[in-house]
Amino acid sequence: MDDAVRKYWQDTLDELASYPARPEFDVLPIRSTPFATLYSVRLTSLGPYRLFGYLSIPTGTGPFPAIYYPPKYQSVLEIIPQGTANLQRSRYITFSLAGRGQRNADTPFAAMFPGLLTEGIDNAASYAFRGIVADSVRGLEFLLTRRELDAARVVLVGNDVALIAAALTAGATHVLTTPALFYKTAELATKTPTYPLEEINDYVRTYPARAEAARRTLGYYDLRGFAPRVTATTLLMAGAPGTLLDARALEPLVAALKGPVTVHESEQSTYKDGLYAERWMAARCGITDVQSILPEHWRD
Amino acid sequence: MPKAVAADYRSRLRKPDDFDAFWDDVERQASAIPLEPEVIPDPLRTSDDVETFQVFYTSLEHIRIAAWYCRPVRRAARTPAIMLLPGYQMDPPIPKEWARKGYIALSVAPRGKLRSNRQFNPGYPNLLTHNIVDRHTYAYRGFYVDTWRGIDFLLSRPEVDPARIGVTGNSQGGGLTITTAAMRREVRAAAAGAPYLCGFMDAVALTHTYPYQEIDDYVRLHPERRADVETTVAYFDGINFADKIACPIIVNIGLQDNVCPPETGYTLFERIGAKDKQLYPYDGHGHDAGRVRHTAIVDRFFARHLLDRDGNA
Repeated sequence: MDDAVRKYWQDTLDELASYPARPEFDVLPIRSTPFATLYSVRLTSLGPYRLFGYLSIPTGTGPFPAIYYPPKYQSVLEIIPQGTANLQRSRYITFSLAGRGQRNADTPFAAMFPGLLTEGIDNAASYAFRGIVADSVRGLEFLLTRRELDAARVVLVGNDVALIAAALTAGATHVLTTPALFYKTAELATKTPTYPLEEINDYVRTYPARAEAARRTLGYYDLRGFAPRVTATTLLMAGAPGTLLDARALEPLVAALKGPVTVHESEQSTYKDGLYAERWMAARCGITDVQSILPEHWRD
Repeated sequence: MPKAVAADYRSRLRKPDDFDAFWDDVERQASAIPLEPEVIPDPLRTSDDVETFQVFYTSLEHIRIAAWYCRPVRRAARTPAIMLLPGYQMDPPIPKEWARKGYIALSVAPRGKLRSNRQFNPGYPNLLTHNIVDRHTYAYRGFYVDTWRGIDFLLSRPEVDPARIGVTGNSQGGGLTITTAAMRREVRAAAAGAPYLCGFMDAVALTHTYPYQEIDDYVRLHPERRADVETTVAYFDGINFADKIACPIIVNIGLQDNVCPPETGYTLFERIGAKDKQLYPYDGHGHDAGRVRHTAIVDRFFARHLLDRDGNA
């Protein structure tokens, strides 16, 4: 990470630190069960901007391992990812955060999908993802304040933003990341007509005079710059062989990660890839009976 | 390995006696509302080979529905069209890839989705249980009509060949493909992947994952309303629409689907009325329903039925 990039992020973190989180909690009875209580959470991030999240705390005394789901690239905020067994919440604290622009955090800024990836991209200081990364850091800071949490077992699960958050703030012991947005973005966008990277192509085609500025901004976000600061144990979910972000393409990222890393190449089955991820997390978090918290159709 | 799925699973679903009358009445109400289509060029999303437009039209309760509309720059005067229907929580995609395959493509955002949520916005989670005790105001009553009106929009376009319209989608989009093919005879071919909204109450018993978990949450908090919930969703269950489907249709399911239990996919397929129907069950696959292998099958299916090609092109 060069000096300009380091300063950009340090300034961002310093500015974030000037806004207290001021969290508010409310129990959501409809999503609470005998094995876990669900809370809506509102907290302040950079801007200031008020965010929204779902915090689930298992029943019992703890301490519990935690899974933090930082903002995804979609408008909807899930309590836990679609298809995850609800019983995951019986063993882990889970916290999912809507970054600015996502549902429940879409006032005053409502993000568009597609659209968010290039929102303000011609100016690094006002690029939408500067705020979203700050939101992700703020979410992790908040989660780490929970007394029920076992600080030795904190897993971040998500796309590029999860890895960036793990690099910028301490506390994540494990990261499960599926890069999609910020790895060689400008270069890889030219090789695909598929969204979300197609957003970059649309932008450059429509505003050619801003292309260089966009490329400069993306330089602040490239995962290779963050990797040397990631000390957490990482599971990198690569695309299937031959795809844009397969293991071969991600080799420079793998080499740059400071902590231990495992690469899983997609088997192009949400069942096989999902099962691998669930087992990986459970093994790292000391959960020996992972079968009991898998979806019914994945159990032996 | 997971246990084998029972292909002969017996659904608890029953079809209400007034099912057809209920939907006839809904259609009557909808038909009285003008479509009022707007087609607005979107230069940012337009490229050398594909023209992209933002589309808006009016649906039940006068709610404005948004959609993406893509068409190949080079096309015949009358071009075949595909309507794409979205998953439960996905943001409807811009369907450029379908335009590149030679179709005019409409990607609909039913009410509550991004760009269609100004007048109706129950949120996620919540959409699945919004007014679920009353079939006359249940969220999916309007949501279904929004998708059917997408076909009406395509039929209103001079560049669309009305005899060559298809519909497809995965997950919720798969369920909506079923209901749309059932309720719009103009649909000439349909491909439904991992269909959601089929076997609602069976799914709630078979799996405990979101989105169906929303119903489980609801009846746990309000156990006294369970009978009303079951009554309502029977009017919206894709399985109860399936016997109306007459067009060629293919359905793919994953045998380890953790979102839409494969048992419900088998039940749905058995009830589909079309003579030309085929089921593709994929072992070793979850909610992706074997997409990596099945995409080419879908392409060949639509090429055969809509592009008048042998499917090998």
